[in-house]
Amino acid sequence: MEIAARIAEGFIGMFQRGGTQFVGLVTGIIPLLIVLMTAVNALVRLIGPERIDKVAMISSRNVLLRYLVLPFLAVFFLTNPMAYTMGRFLPEKQKPAFYDAAVSFVHPILGLFPHANPGEIFVWAGIAAGITKLGLGLGDLAIRYFLVGLLVIFIRGLVTERITAIMWARRSAPEGQGEEATSATEAAPAVETGGAAFASGEEA
Amino acid sequence: MQAVARGLEAIGRAVGNVVGILYQAGRDTIDQVIRNILPFMAFISMIIGIILYTGIGNIIAHTLSPLASNIFGLLLMSVICAIPILSPLLGPGAVIAQVVGTLLGVEIGLGHIPPQYALPALFAINPQVGCDFIPVGLALGEAEPETTEIGVPAVLMSRLITGPLAVVIAYLASFGMYAGH
Repeated sequence: MEIAARIAEGFIGMFQRGGTQFVGLVTGIIPLLIVLMTAVNALVRLIGPERIDKVAMISSRNVLLRYLVLPFLAVFFLTNPMAYTMGRFLPEKQKPAFYDAAVSFVHPILGLFPHANPGEIFVWAGIAAGITKLGLGLGDLAIRYFLVGLLVIFIRGLVTERITAIMWARRSAPEGQGEEATSATEAAPAVETGGAAFASGEEA
Repeated sequence: MQAVARGLEAIGRAVGNVVGILYQAGRDTIDQVIRNILPFMAFISMIIGIILYTGIGNIIAHTLSPLASNIFGLLLMSVICAIPILSPLLGPGAVIAQVVGTLLGVEIGLGHIPPQYALPALFAINPQVGCDFIPVGLALGEAEPETTEIGVPAVLMSRLITGPLAVVIAYLASFGMYAGH
């Protein structure tokens, strides 16, 4: 009997520990999050998506604007996942690179503007919780995450644009130029269908 | 008299409009908290509770912590997450990144991982971001089917380069952070 009681206590204890954790998260993160998200949501609504569209059209012309300013504006104002609709202002060959840049920014922005992707906040908040527990401020980490994030999305934009251009050239190269060229063009779609199948499968 | 009335009406309408927007912003926020944030907190709390209580935490402390407290371990982590076949599988909902991030956060809080590694770790757990979503993301950007066919492998390949690179940049950028600790 005593053993059974001890097992029961251990079983409940495990969830009590989880409960303490939950209360810590709710009281530690949610109050600030709610007020901050309300403020930024209001700002975004007051500015309106039409004005962002205009900025996006101008931003498409320059590399620095395209993979640095536009992804930031898109993620800040339209949030995940609507941010990717900004890609419609870009030429086809730059769309994958823009997507890569924009999607890579939905987490670095969380430290400063959690309204942009609240459903995935624990990518940031999980690690940040450890820093808080040590009694250190989050500002330093948040701002560095944000700035490094900007640099990384810019590099991703450039690299992906380059890779897209190479694959595009390979695909549209005229057929029958020797076996190597043909096999290369055939290899590319094979890889792609695998990726697409995984991706769409996961989304569904 | 009529001008005054018209002016008052305009003001009233403008104020009503702004208040409506603010109220809607609050409603959106609470919606998000209830629908997305609280459920994830419940899920994370349960996992942490089990891990801390059962001693799995010690195993993680001995395997994950050494990996996450040096740059080579973090690089290895980012390369694994960026492998083109794995990255779309690890991507959905950023669940893997969130769970691993929370585990690392616990270890940082316990002092097993130095706090300055928080920055490179944030990038090491996440080179797969959005890899599951490329066709949908491109479709939202009104891309042609041909663009999607090329774009999916292009982004996946690019991550193999930029994933580890991001960790290196973050590592360099973390110098001097929480130095006194």
